[in-house]
Amino acid sequence: MRRLPAALSAFFLAAFALVPALAPGTAGAAQAAGSDAWSATHHLTRDLVDASGTTTTADSRDVTVSVDKHTDLQARERINVSWSGAHPSGGRAANPFGVDGLNQEYPVLLMECRGLDDPSLPADQQLSPSTCWTNTWNERTEKADATQAPWRHDKYADPADTGALSGVSSLPADCTDTTLSVHITPFVSAAGKTFSGCSETTMPPEAAVGSADPPNEISAFTDGNGNGSAAFEVRTDAENESLGCSHTVACSLVVVPIEGISCADADTACNKTGAFDPGSNNFGNLLTPDLAVSPYLWWSPSNWRNRFSVPLEFALPPSTCQLLGSGTPVTFYGSALMRQATLQWAPAYCLDKKRFNWQANTMPDDAAFALMASGGADAALVTGPRKPDDKTVKVGFAPTAVSGFGIAFDIDKPDNGGQEDSLELNARLLAKLLTMSYPASSLGQQRPGLATNPISLNLDPEFQQLNPGLDAVHSSEAASTLLSLSTSSDVIKAITSYIEADPDAKAFMKGKADPWGMTVNPAYKNLKLPVSTWPILDTFVPSTPGQACLANNPAPYLPKVAAPVSSFQQISTAMILSWPNVNTVCDTDTNTGLYKLGRIPPQGVGSRFMLGLVTLGDAARYGLPVASLQAAPGSYVAPDTAGLSAAVALAQQTGGKQGAFSLDQARVRKSRTAYPGMLVVSTAARTSGMDKDAAKRVAQFIDISTTQGQVPGRGNGQLPQGYLPITKKGVTAKLYAADQRTKAAVLAQKAPAVAKPKVAEPAAAPAPAAAAPASAPASAPAAPKAVTPKASQPVTAKTQLVARTAPTRSGTGGMLLPGLLFLGLVGGLVAALTRFLGRAAASGGRS
Amino acid sequence: MSAATVGPTPAPSPTPTSAPTSAPAAPRRQPRPQVRAGSTAEAWSLVSTWFALLAVVCLWLVVQLPFLSVLSHNRAQALLYPQLRTDLASATAPTGGVITPGTPVSLLTIPTIGLRQVVVEGTTGTVLRAGPGHLASTVLPGQSGISVVMGRASTYGAPFGSITKLHPGDEAVVQMSQGRVVYRVQDVRHAGDPVPAAVTGAQSRLTLVTAEGSGALAWLRPTTAVYVDAVATKGFQPGGGQPASVDAGQLPMGTDSSALPVLALCLALLLGAAYVVTVAWHRFSHALVWVVASPVVLTLAWFTTDTTARLLPNLM
Repeated sequence: MRRLPAALSAFFLAAFALVPALAPGTAGAAQAAGSDAWSATHHLTRDLVDASGTTTTADSRDVTVSVDKHTDLQARERINVSWSGAHPSGGRAANPFGVDGLNQEYPVLLMECRGLDDPSLPADQQLSPSTCWTNTWNERTEKADATQAPWRHDKYADPADTGALSGVSSLPADCTDTTLSVHITPFVSAAGKTFSGCSETTMPPEAAVGSADPPNEISAFTDGNGNGSAAFEVRTDAENESLGCSHTVACSLVVVPIEGISCADADTACNKTGAFDPGSNNFGNLLTPDLAVSPYLWWSPSNWRNRFSVPLEFALPPSTCQLLGSGTPVTFYGSALMRQATLQWAPAYCLDKKRFNWQANTMPDDAAFALMASGGADAALVTGPRKPDDKTVKVGFAPTAVSGFGIAFDIDKPDNGGQEDSLELNARLLAKLLTMSYPASSLGQQRPGLATNPISLNLDPEFQQLNPGLDAVHSSEAASTLLSLSTSSDVIKAITSYIEADPDAKAFMKGKADPWGMTVNPAYKNLKLPVSTWPILDTFVPSTPGQACLANNPAPYLPKVAAPVSSFQQISTAMILSWPNVNTVCDTDTNTGLYKLGRIPPQGVGSRFMLGLVTLGDAARYGLPVASLQAAPGSYVAPDTAGLSAAVALAQQTGGKQGAFSLDQARVRKSRTAYPGMLVVSTAARTSGMDKDAAKRVAQFIDISTTQGQVPGRGNGQLPQGYLPITKKGVTAKLYAADQRTKAAVLAQKAPAVAKPKVAEPAAAPAPAAAAPASAPASAPAAPKAVTPKASQPVTAKTQLVARTAPTRSGTGGMLLPGLLFLGLVGGLVAALTRFLGRAAASGGRS
Repeated sequence: MSAATVGPTPAPSPTPTSAPTSAPAAPRRQPRPQVRAGSTAEAWSLVSTWFALLAVVCLWLVVQLPFLSVLSHNRAQALLYPQLRTDLASATAPTGGVITPGTPVSLLTIPTIGLRQVVVEGTTGTVLRAGPGHLASTVLPGQSGISVVMGRASTYGAPFGSITKLHPGDEAVVQMSQGRVVYRVQDVRHAGDPVPAAVTGAQSRLTLVTAEGSGALAWLRPTTAVYVDAVATKGFQPGGGQPASVDAGQLPMGTDSSALPVLALCLALLLGAAYVVTVAWHRFSHALVWVVASPVVLTLAWFTTDTTARLLPNLM
């Protein structure tokens, strides 16, 4: 019964491969995830026994579970899990994670377990309830009065497990309630240590109270039709050492549809079928669910036998290159858009002896470009056309990745309608969000100029017209802002260019009201766009009579609502955890009597509403749904393969044959199919004055990143989702051609004339090689041969690659004292002279 | 500079007071040609007085900043040394974290150039008047990592005036709360020279920063920042907790604009003093005015210059 014939599985697999839209992650820009999807169907039944002792099969259903990916997983990657045919759930909890999700009925429990579900493997490589991760002891230990212990009447349980104590042979020391029926599911860590899990003191360290990571096990809700979906975040041994999943230790995602205990006798507690109606809420934990159909008993044989075990395969960890990489790391700095590609690309370089040890670090595009132009790095990864400050330096651009930014959203439909998976936004709505024009609450409404604006985005008639069917009643602070970036980035430049190019948004920025009467926050009126760093201009401090904490802690209100962060990683994490970065909660420390402003709590599932500016790579990796943006008036385009392709077709090369590609928003406004947030990341490298080794490295990178690096896939060296492959033919052919030209130009340049010592990049230089190459002959023997150069030549040789001491000058310091001395002397002379003349004049006048 | 009223020189007389009120004092005066208002002689006298004032103010600054300020620097060091001794003996000298500016943190000795200075916390122009200062965002001298110490090149005792004469291999000894570390000078580093590689493991690098000039009167013209790197194979465990960055006033050649209000006050006091002296000059015996006014005006002038120095580049 566990597995249906392979043909049926294959059918479902194919079926789901054809329906990628099932996954809310519409950012799955590049490829259908067919090869990596997994699906299975099980037949579930529940047997009940009535008072007369007759056994009936009360419920029988075919449940199909499918996931969109399960191999080459990165840490914290979210797997989209969906199912159909399951028992409708009841008593929905606001937060389905961990212990908070237990008070529900008939949910589908998702958890990460060490081991595989394969009876042919040795016992220590198989999964069991004791290798499944839970974040609290409540999920491992069940205590109840004998009349309230349905697991003791489980039809499928071993007779030995129906006693008062089951799961362990003797009661652990921290279990005190000896009069109750107790079942314990101990946890066995990867190192082999057993945690009895009867209280918080006997749980693994990662499950400590207030541990860094919130629970990732989910008791997910099934709708009235038996369908449901959830995004499951996988953790590796870096996040959870006790669980210990890694590329060498196999793990599984275990999906347990809670079907209820099949009873062996007519026990009342065991034969209960639920206290909640399907689809009902239990947000306040007002009612206690029936234990027999709750996820508390996920380990009971009746539930455990229904499990789906999805084998998980993890990719090499990010630390691979530090531990196993050969050669000195060579870092390219630049665009945050490359982050997900870097995760997969870097191991393909550092583990291959024929390639250099490539790494990429995020840095503001302008700074990265300047660093490259001044010789501080071999190459920079940037998105727009730019010119070096030094006119003598020539730079070529090789398109490396086609990706972009997106507006990710975490929005629930009203009345438990599930998560919204599509959203439409235009430039004016983005302008409204970024300019803090929604007052967010009554505090913001005090700001002159905002009193009549809709409080938050979901109450804005313009938004409601575009996205009908969402919550149009409740306002919230999180719904009135877009979590954005505080640092300099080409992404901010792109999104502000998009606003600037839209006549309606531009007029709005200039102070013109929208058709519904909403006006821009006066602090941002006439702000000149585009900008690379979004400024925080609103300084209005509301008055808060009667709220001692806020009154004693006055701070501009709207910037606390917007609270931009410094990296896209932080925005993605906030989106994964549905935790808006709105910092308006005022707390009083009772010990010191001091006040502090803090972050609002995470949003409960069912009433989420938040938006974040993310990269398409992050959105695809973490399964974040991304909004469609308006291209031509009335045409809303999603960041999928079609949208990105159409945008690339519009991109133009500026600055000659080796220039960078960029997207003119004026052209996007004429297109019905181009995604406005598309950005082309280019590898920018000098085509003059670079030394031969560096030029070879850059050429190798361009070569590999445009061939193997553009093959869509989840493996090392391949292109992850969220990027559009650059190919020899098709819309990206012009990018590929530019790659070849730039590569040739990089290789063709002449190395600087003088043979120079082999000095590596400043960040990575091993200590002896770069230390004091100046006049210290004593240090020369210890250094590599190249550091013993011919007399004074090398001082001029390598002006471009070694970090130089920057000049710090002060004209005041240099000229002050000599100037004063000169002035003093002149003054003295003139005084003496004039005194003499004065006397002469006086005596002359008297005589 | 509107402090053009230094000294007991009679103020130029745009008001007609000088002629009548000077009458009673006239008999005691040296016989001198009388100056009448509106005459050519008066114009010459005015010009002469103005230039004399200019000369006095400029030369006073030239005398105090490089020479007289040695006194205040020596006094500060004489007070800091016993304070550091006490702190070291009672184990209360700082080991890390945010330290109050001006607190002594270590004793720096470089025998080859005869340097022995108490290093204080902070690198604003204000703090550096007392002695070399430790850049707050780096580890303390003697701890593993990179520590930066800045010192003045030509004013306030010029504690770092001769560090550019150091040679590779010279010893620099740091005595701090955790013990004693002997550094070896790597080299003097000017603008454009390669930055040394990052320190590894428990290595400690001490970077001394000062300013230097070039050409004639180089010692009076500290123009560009210059660095001296010294390394020790093993430093002490850093205490951590130092701020991630410091404001521009603490960076090399930074200026401390917080002195502006104090300077305004000083100048106002000087102006007041000049007025009082002018009035007294005509009322009381000149000897008396000299005796009473000189110390007051000298003190004010000294303090004003001291405050002005805070506004100048901190490595001067």
